[in-house]
Amino acid sequence: MKKLLFILVLINVTLFSQSNTGITMPYVDFPMKEGKGMYSTKGKCNMCHSWGYTVNQGLQSKKFWREKVMKMIVVFKAPIKTQKDIDTVVDYLFENYGNGKLE
Amino acid sequence: MERRDFFKKALTVAGSAAVGSTTVGAAQTVHPVDNRKVSDIAFPQKRPLITYSDRPPLLETPREVFTSALTPNDLFFVRWHMPVIPTYINLNTFFIHINGEVEKEIKVSLKTLKTEFEAVELTAVLQCGGNNRTAFQPTAGGIQWGVGAMGCAKWKGARLKDVLQKAGLKKEAAWIGFNGEEKAVYAETANFVRELKLEEMHDDIIIAYEMNGEDLPYLNGYPIRLILPGFYSDSWIKMLCNITVTKERQKLHFMDHAYRIPDNDCECETPDSLAQKTKPIEEMNVNSLIGYPITSTKVKKDADLVVRGVAFDGGHGIAKVEISTDDGASWTKAVLDDGKEGKYAYRAFTYSFKPQSYGQQNILCRASNKKGEVQPFAKDIQWNRGGYKYNGIDEVKVEVV
Repeated sequence: MKKLLFILVLINVTLFSQSNTGITMPYVDFPMKEGKGMYSTKGKCNMCHSWGYTVNQGLQSKKFWREKVMKMIVVFKAPIKTQKDIDTVVDYLFENYGNGKLE
Repeated sequence: MERRDFFKKALTVAGSAAVGSTTVGAAQTVHPVDNRKVSDIAFPQKRPLITYSDRPPLLETPREVFTSALTPNDLFFVRWHMPVIPTYINLNTFFIHINGEVEKEIKVSLKTLKTEFEAVELTAVLQCGGNNRTAFQPTAGGIQWGVGAMGCAKWKGARLKDVLQKAGLKKEAAWIGFNGEEKAVYAETANFVRELKLEEMHDDIIIAYEMNGEDLPYLNGYPIRLILPGFYSDSWIKMLCNITVTKERQKLHFMDHAYRIPDNDCECETPDSLAQKTKPIEEMNVNSLIGYPITSTKVKKDADLVVRGVAFDGGHGIAKVEISTDDGASWTKAVLDDGKEGKYAYRAFTYSFKPQSYGQQNILCRASNKKGEVQPFAKDIQWNRGGYKYNGIDEVKVEVV
């Protein structure tokens, strides 16, 4: 009986005390649209952040996407080194997540 | 039961929140996107929420939740700036480091924070400056939030003022910079640092270690976060681990370029003519939201329908909430709760009526605060490039059967 009581108390403690055991983050897939430059863009953007962060900016102009890419390079130090690489990413974004407007 | 049904019904493929675009020619503000479903993947310590990104986690609370003054921790929205967030905080090695223009640099543990400072409790709304951003057209830059990048919790913690006093501020001290444990992938990337002018300090700014009577969820900043009641959430630093006091304002991307609005009377601009001068978003404007019913709910003709929702502002206090069932032609006062959660909290409201005719019934709500600010119609809200501070009159459309 005593033993049972002890076990019950123990269960209670485990259930109701707040314990700090850390968390495990899930992976959520945000599929990319197939298109020219997808793999290059995937490598350059998704190594730092979720594709969801990108696509949930909404459909945007070419100027917007170019400014975002430049912000990633200048402010966040994204290693996109050449003009060709920049253009590839901007073109992919605008082709697939553009609003049809250059500006 | 009702809520569980909703969550069951709302399950959807993860990642499908994405891209609600409404790009049209003219700049006219509309109602924010309101039909997104929660993800089928729950984040740790959370129920499934509308999921915009997993790295960093960006999670929105569905409308249904906003029927009471407090938002449950596991339904509370989540917004981080940097993708690398600690998944375990060791409380034996976790400190807030306080440095810069102080008499002595100190580090404060969670235990010290809880035991050596007077505990303060206050209820305050935490709202992203870009909440409702989908209302703006053309599409404004930033995460395309619907209506739920907000929540209200009872926070318990120590006053920032008291904690800084322990380190002792030098007389040149003028700015306080805050950052948390979140990090970018590259070490070269600057931390997410926010600053507060020392002269803006007041007694209600606290470093909170409890949220609604529990430890903070990791995704809301465990073990501690800064609470700036009345202000948008951009400076409510999570996992706060460093406070640097300076004489001069630092040059910081997130202060100089993010969370700013045009510095003019209407706080507005057009895409063709962007305002030259900008200011920080800071104090929240008056706002309200209907939590029940939601659009597409079927209700019975001549049966009692109890509308529920929340209203809030930047701390002046809500004067009234009004409901219109005739598209804004006439307004009737809703019943407000007792307001005991204080001036920074949601005021929950209810309004009962019996729908009189079959078909679509629109229900609008608008709040006014004690300063005399009244929510405008959505279409009358003017554009800003960041899509900040939307506070249009809310509307849901139910079907009377």
